[in-house]
Amino acid sequence: MKNTLRQIFHSSKFVAGFIIFVGILLLLIIYPLINPGNPLEMIGVGTFAEPGTYVSVYDTVTTETETLKLPDAAVKRLGNVLKEADRQKMADWLSAMEIDVSGLDLSDTDALLAVWKENYDETARPAGMTKAERNYYKRLNASLGSLGSAGKMTVTEKDSSGEEQVVATIGTEDYVNVKDVPNTKNLVLGTDNFGRDVLKELVSAAGTSIFIGLIAGAVATVIGLLLGLLSGYLGGLVDDIIMFITNIFTVIPGFVLLILISYSIGQDKRGAPVVALVIGLTSWTWTARSVRSQVISLRNRDHVNLSRLSGHGLFRILATDILPYIASYVVMAFILQVSSGILAEAQLSLLGLGPKTTEVPTLGLMMNWAMLYSAHLNGSWWAYFPVILMITLISFSLNLMNTGLDQVFNPTLRD
Amino acid sequence: MKKFTALLLTAAITLTGMMSTVSVLAEDVQLPREETLYFGGQQWGTVNSYNPIGTNQNNAMATTPQLIGSRTLMFETLYMYNFLDGSLTPLLADGDFAWNDDLTEMTVKIKDAAKWSDGSDVTSADVIRTFDIGVEIANGVGTGYGPYIDSIEAVDDKTFVIKAAVTEDGVPVNPLKVNDFLSAVLIAQAGWIDAVCERNNNDPTAIMNDAAEDVVWSGPYTKYFDDDQKVVLIRDDNYWGQDASMWGKLPVPKYIAHTIYADNAATEVAFKAGEIDVDQQFLPNIQNTWLEEDLPISTYMEEAPYGVCLTMPTAWYNMNNPVLAENTALRKAIAIAVDYDTIIANAMTNQSPSFADVPRSLMNPTEGEQALYDHEAVADLQWAGNDIDGANALLDEAGLTDTDGDGWREYNGEKISLNAVCPNGWTDWMAAMEVVAAAGKNIGVEITTLFPEWDTVQTVFTNPNQTEYDIFMWSPDGAGPSMPWGRVRQFLDGDLAGIENNWTGNWGQYKNDRATEIVKQIPLTSDPEELKALYTEAIQIYLTEVPSFSLMYRPAVFHAVNESVWTNYPEEGDGRNIPPADCTDGYGIAALYDLELVG
Repeated sequence: MKNTLRQIFHSSKFVAGFIIFVGILLLLIIYPLINPGNPLEMIGVGTFAEPGTYVSVYDTVTTETETLKLPDAAVKRLGNVLKEADRQKMADWLSAMEIDVSGLDLSDTDALLAVWKENYDETARPAGMTKAERNYYKRLNASLGSLGSAGKMTVTEKDSSGEEQVVATIGTEDYVNVKDVPNTKNLVLGTDNFGRDVLKELVSAAGTSIFIGLIAGAVATVIGLLLGLLSGYLGGLVDDIIMFITNIFTVIPGFVLLILISYSIGQDKRGAPVVALVIGLTSWTWTARSVRSQVISLRNRDHVNLSRLSGHGLFRILATDILPYIASYVVMAFILQVSSGILAEAQLSLLGLGPKTTEVPTLGLMMNWAMLYSAHLNGSWWAYFPVILMITLISFSLNLMNTGLDQVFNPTLRD
Repeated sequence: MKKFTALLLTAAITLTGMMSTVSVLAEDVQLPREETLYFGGQQWGTVNSYNPIGTNQNNAMATTPQLIGSRTLMFETLYMYNFLDGSLTPLLADGDFAWNDDLTEMTVKIKDAAKWSDGSDVTSADVIRTFDIGVEIANGVGTGYGPYIDSIEAVDDKTFVIKAAVTEDGVPVNPLKVNDFLSAVLIAQAGWIDAVCERNNNDPTAIMNDAAEDVVWSGPYTKYFDDDQKVVLIRDDNYWGQDASMWGKLPVPKYIAHTIYADNAATEVAFKAGEIDVDQQFLPNIQNTWLEEDLPISTYMEEAPYGVCLTMPTAWYNMNNPVLAENTALRKAIAIAVDYDTIIANAMTNQSPSFADVPRSLMNPTEGEQALYDHEAVADLQWAGNDIDGANALLDEAGLTDTDGDGWREYNGEKISLNAVCPNGWTDWMAAMEVVAAAGKNIGVEITTLFPEWDTVQTVFTNPNQTEYDIFMWSPDGAGPSMPWGRVRQFLDGDLAGIENNWTGNWGQYKNDRATEIVKQIPLTSDPEELKALYTEAIQIYLTEVPSFSLMYRPAVFHAVNESVWTNYPEEGDGRNIPPADCTDGYGIAALYDLELVG
């Protein structure tokens, strides 16, 4: 046993897969300790907040400030509002209104703003200009509002008598240390369409998906193993019957069966364990077939015949004389079943046939909602890409481990 | 030799195959982009006919009768409804209609210029025949207006009188529904209807499903091409409406085309790519298309909610479920626990005013309807939502407590477990239902979401005895000449409870005698003060009894345009008073006459 383990951990592929998988498991265990709470809580009002650190604007006003004289602050501030293209667009608008801008230097912000403020009229409809373009100029004009007035900004608050009281005056050189702000939130992967913290949801979903994969894999392996052992060892009529059933299940595409069963169960009864069970019940066939063929090659070996002559019962022979010889194979099959179980859940959920949505997040459901809210069309990569990556990593690591084991146990592949 | 024959055969088969491919390509119509206005989000399958009296037909572009303004591209209504101000603009009709003093008879004239595509005049006989055939074959016109219109009689070729149905006391049943008739019913030609009846041996089903190859139309467009890929209408350059008494010109685009897309996502991609000009589709975060993607897309309003919200998708409680029927406190508790700000910001991506701006009532958010009730009188009954403490207190007070300590409340010893249902794929509604379910979790009432396919949902919720859905979403009607009365009826009319195949209203089977009485009184009341009192009382009942609760406001039609090819679409405050109704519905069609090419 010790020797086998050592051999296994000598396989670089197995070790790589093992490390990735353990890493994911550690993340699943540790992250909820750092960031506890309900993963389905809708913290964001609004959809798809970008990843990043969010600082409470309200709190920064009352946080103590330091004055920093940074040389390029004004340029950056301006650049955030008025880009190169915007300047050209402003000139285009002025030209469209037949205002002469030939002598104007577009990089001279003050001059440009002066001409703009003098001439821009929100209600004007320059010939040939679409509404979308006019809207763009309105937005640009509004964002220019605070430019040019280099002075201070005052924040006021209504007191109990309804009077405006000045709370703070903010200058362009005032900075707060983020550490001093009581409320900041680091959303590493932003929020999804419900305003949920994607990372928190992802961690919880990966756990659910692995759970579904394990159950599905266990169910499929147990069924496949039992049927394979019985049919391979007993042969004859039992073999015929079992293989008949197995063949029927093999020719019906498993995923179609899975869809039909999930659909007929109905959404209200589809919890995560039920979905896992259904996946397991539809994916045992190839385990059964390969276990059977291995058993057939084992059943006439001398030690099995000896055991039979000694009067040992069927189950004892299967358990002590046959199973140990195919155990390594069964473990590998189990790993692959877990991996395909996770993928099957993701596929099902993507079609809206996965577990019902309100209880637990799963990787498939996260992708389903991201797709429903066209995250893939509006550039909200954080809502689906980490999910895809997580699924890939999980099944990649499981497959790596499987290949590693194969190299150790399969004589034809052994180095 | 054998080999050679085989080769020859193969070559022949391949060639035939290629030829047939070529001929398919030739049949595919190539429309000049600069003369074609492309639509999206209206037609989802191959059109089955151009039959204006077959109100069960699916031809969205050619035959869509609806209260917020019927689509008058191919067939026309007497008046065009404008949901911006509730006005009716004459189309086939000439000038205003006139009621007599008892509201039992309405006189309508038809324009002298109004003509059918075969050159004959549109006459009173056509209107009469359209109504009569509706009653005979029980199509949408017959079932929708038969109970309210006794008969239509011709005064002369161009004048007719609509006689309202009256009760035993001689009072009209509902004059408001007669107004609906004017703007919602597409008029078909009497002669053509006769021909259809004859060739179908007067069989109602056959008449409604008649393919209408020979149909006669009065509108500015007619059929040009359709298959499973797209449907195209072509302008009729002999359209009567170019007469000075109507538009004085032809609509600008020569072709109206609608590609049939697989789903919303495909439509969205095409719209963003500029392959669709006018899109009737909910686009989440539509502002990103111009703020971040820099596309030439715009909406009627520049700022949220971007469109004119006319309806309020509502969660209905199923009164067939005793837990809901017997516990007003439970109904109210769920309603006040729901976080509406989240629904509006997340599910609707802010394309709806908030309930803080427009408090809940039976009225849509337009100014006209909001002025119809006393806001002060119902202010105490309002709720802001997300009030978990309040909801818990209500439930505790009503004795709906968690008696067995499992975290869920019980009623008569049984755990309260409800489902929240809407059709699969209706994204914003699905998200709203998720928020409702989350509210249930917060107050110890188990609510699980359920998203069956639309086919299933529609047969279940229109069945008055259904017990499968506990909370389900559906929208009342948005706007129309008979609003807001029609909506009050949909929310509160006890007479609608129990009717089979119910598409009319009161899907939750709620019964309240006083409310039903108010629904009957409103159409017969003309005094504004009295009317206001009635509406206010109805809202008081609604907010106290909570037979349903609205989740958001929503446009009746979405209207987003991509100005890659066409521009000068209606916009807020442009002085034209054209509603954002996809350039096709009701008075919205006026937009087609003003379109300009970009650049």
